[in-house]
Amino acid sequence: MPPFSRVERRESMAERRPSMSYTPPVIPHLEGLEKPQQNHIELDQADVLILGTGLIESILAAALSWQGVQVLHLDNKSYYGDSASTLTIDQLKKWCIEVNQGKLPNFQDAQIYIPGGKSTNKFKSKDYGIDLTPKIMFCKSDLLSLLIKSRVYKYLEFQSLSNFHVFENDDFNKKISNSTSKEDIFSNNSLSLLTKRNLMKFLKFILTDNKNPEKKQLLFENSKQTIIDFLKGQFNLEDPQINELVYSIGLCIKPTTKTPEAIAKIKRFLVSFDVYGNFPVMISKYGGPGEISQGFCRSAAVAGTIYKLNTNLVDYDPHTKIAQFSDGSNIKINEKIIISPTQLPKFLQSTYNELVNDEISPLPTYNITRLITVVRRDCKEWMSDQESSAIVVFPPLSLPTQNNQSVQVIIQNGGTGICPSGQSIWFSHTSEPDLNRAKLDLESAFEKMEASLLRETESNLEKNLNDEDFKINSSANIYSTTPIMVNSFKLGEHLQNFVPKEKLEIVCKVGFVQKTLINPDLTNVFQASESNNVILKSPASSDIIFTNMLSSELSYDGIITETKLIYSKITGSDEDFFDVDFEDEDDEGNDDYTRSSTTTTAANTIANAHIDDANLVHTKSTTSIGDNSNDIAIDDDDDDDNHEPFGTDVDNMEL
Amino acid sequence: MSDATPNTNRFAQFKLVLLGESAVGKSSIVHRFVKNTFDDMRESTIGAAFLTQSINLPESNTTIKFEIWDTAGQERYKSLAPMYYRNANAALCVYDITSRSSFNKAQEWIKELKRQATEGIVIALVGNKLDLEENREVDQQEVEEYIVQQSAEDDGNQIITSECSAKNGDGVLDIFNSIGRALPVDEVINAAANRGRPAGSRQQGGIDLARARRQQAAAANSCC
Repeated sequence: MPPFSRVERRESMAERRPSMSYTPPVIPHLEGLEKPQQNHIELDQADVLILGTGLIESILAAALSWQGVQVLHLDNKSYYGDSASTLTIDQLKKWCIEVNQGKLPNFQDAQIYIPGGKSTNKFKSKDYGIDLTPKIMFCKSDLLSLLIKSRVYKYLEFQSLSNFHVFENDDFNKKISNSTSKEDIFSNNSLSLLTKRNLMKFLKFILTDNKNPEKKQLLFENSKQTIIDFLKGQFNLEDPQINELVYSIGLCIKPTTKTPEAIAKIKRFLVSFDVYGNFPVMISKYGGPGEISQGFCRSAAVAGTIYKLNTNLVDYDPHTKIAQFSDGSNIKINEKIIISPTQLPKFLQSTYNELVNDEISPLPTYNITRLITVVRRDCKEWMSDQESSAIVVFPPLSLPTQNNQSVQVIIQNGGTGICPSGQSIWFSHTSEPDLNRAKLDLESAFEKMEASLLRETESNLEKNLNDEDFKINSSANIYSTTPIMVNSFKLGEHLQNFVPKEKLEIVCKVGFVQKTLINPDLTNVFQASESNNVILKSPASSDIIFTNMLSSELSYDGIITETKLIYSKITGSDEDFFDVDFEDEDDEGNDDYTRSSTTTTAANTIANAHIDDANLVHTKSTTSIGDNSNDIAIDDDDDDDNHEPFGTDVDNMEL
Repeated sequence: MSDATPNTNRFAQFKLVLLGESAVGKSSIVHRFVKNTFDDMRESTIGAAFLTQSINLPESNTTIKFEIWDTAGQERYKSLAPMYYRNANAALCVYDITSRSSFNKAQEWIKELKRQATEGIVIALVGNKLDLEENREVDQQEVEEYIVQQSAEDDGNQIITSECSAKNGDGVLDIFNSIGRALPVDEVINAAANRGRPAGSRQQGGIDLARARRQQAAAANSCC
């Protein structure tokens, strides 16, 4: 910003207007007549216009602007994040009303329940940051590499998440928690030697180089096989281990998940473990995708992107390339207009509908049903020591509703900055297509968690405990004499025998349905084509590219791949995607940050690996999960042992 | 302050955000403070999240490191993200003494700050371009009146006022020294001490993504 110069002051109307003719808005602005068009965007032209500050759009804005592209980034809401925003309770109330008024395309059936009156249910709306689309980040993932490379991580705070609980046989009798090695991940000490051996055999298989001929062959032969049958047939694993591997570690949602997809997902967990510590995933403090969007928008702004909220695109003339906005601005857009589905202007509605539902390849819509509950409990029972979040998974058929698909829940308490301390937020969702069933599944999962939580805090707790539930913390500090409960989920009887004496206090409960054109298995992201993804579907001749709503995927997988699809569509290639070398701050004394070559090359190798990945998909048919690129990044990088975190561990795991 | 031992050098880090109308010289003040230049040093060359600069307060033997967040232009259309205000300990609300409207804007920003920022944030209302005294439109009397009126509202936010010239550097360091003295240094230092440091525990601030554990692990592996 040139200080002192008056360059940034408003130019005269004559200067500001493009030389070509356009029709000025007929109705003058009513408010601020004394200062007409105060909020007019002071810009004659931009290369790319992006509508919507959602996660993908924000990463795109940053990627483009760091390559010197002039980006104008608008949002028709008053907040950042678009359909992936992090909202306060008051914002969420308003949001629900707008959904039900049909003002937010791709959302429906919003319900918000705030029990009690102001006197009994006291809360400050502002203390809450509730994600519409909460996500977790694997410690080895393309988003993480990009956060480092782009330096956006400096705006954010990340916390570890190590507890993954699986609900099974009406009890939460499995968990993956604070393991010190990958073999510990299977926490059940009562596993037979044979089962352990089979598990280790499978883990070794999964961590083997993808180029290994035997592995390739086996995966190829089983590419159409479900993971359940594969684990049973090839590795003699039993149901409890299979459930844990497929639904908890793998976060798969259906028993029909195909072997290559599930293997990639399980591997994603295993290679993420021990990268930053004994945990596989992280969550971003103060909010997930909503927070990360803001970070990338800030990065884009530093690189020159112009931001304005509360602004719609009103009209666009493809001949003059002049875009008209709701604030009265008229700006020439030289290259492309990127539009998120929730920001779709009326005049483009039919274009969009025709594109999505054309006769040759209409795109199927997928439902994501969410139930978000804010409770007055910190739920520490479910979390690892010093952590503030946990994952609970209800595998298919584990609930009384006979759920067809997994219900996945992220639990976060006040320690993550999204609610006051002493409270927590339970974010649950399912991809069940039948909306009535989906709601029943989510309610049922909520009841199970509620019952479990209340049971654990009953006053007669001691009766249900035995010595195995306590351990003395061996680490040498002053607290070491305090017994720490370890297996809290294993307490006492099965849930069905438990009748809680009290009810869980609820601050707020929100339910809604989100639509997306992205398949829950992300196949139309990782194998995107003109016939399955709306980004690629729009004709090259069109100035307008429509983006997708976020998928139901619990992690950030697929986000970068999708962003690159749009980036390539605009610039012709994704080779220079975030290809920036920032100079080091000379005087900051960067001792805090070992910004080593490893971290930056990681992103590069992933980008390169992506090309290999495409080839790989062709040769062995259907491996579809994006962390293939991670796999390859690890496997290919022989000259950098940092990329082989488990090189020695694999052998040690053999029993 | 009572338990501050004068011979120990104490250290605390704070987040400071800039606010104010475009072209009042927000970035210039920071560049004068951080780099002691008046050039258009672009954050974009370092992809900067933020700039940092430390000051020493000799009377309390304290080093204060400021993590300074610039608006990156997102203030222009009132599009600053919540992330910007989050955990900010201090805010520099800048106006141009030669522009009355910029002073009015600065007051609006203070209002916005009180709405969005953490309670108890230290606010500095700073008039820049003191070197253009002859074109002054906002006199100090007026600023004082505004402050009196603000303190009557008694909402716990203290407002420091000052004037400076980023161009010749007058008054710039003083602003940051005054902010440093107003910050709850003891509170922050004590809170950090109370957290304790059991060996091997993770940092309070979360995980440093640029510090993968493997880098250490790899070093350990290489010797066996």
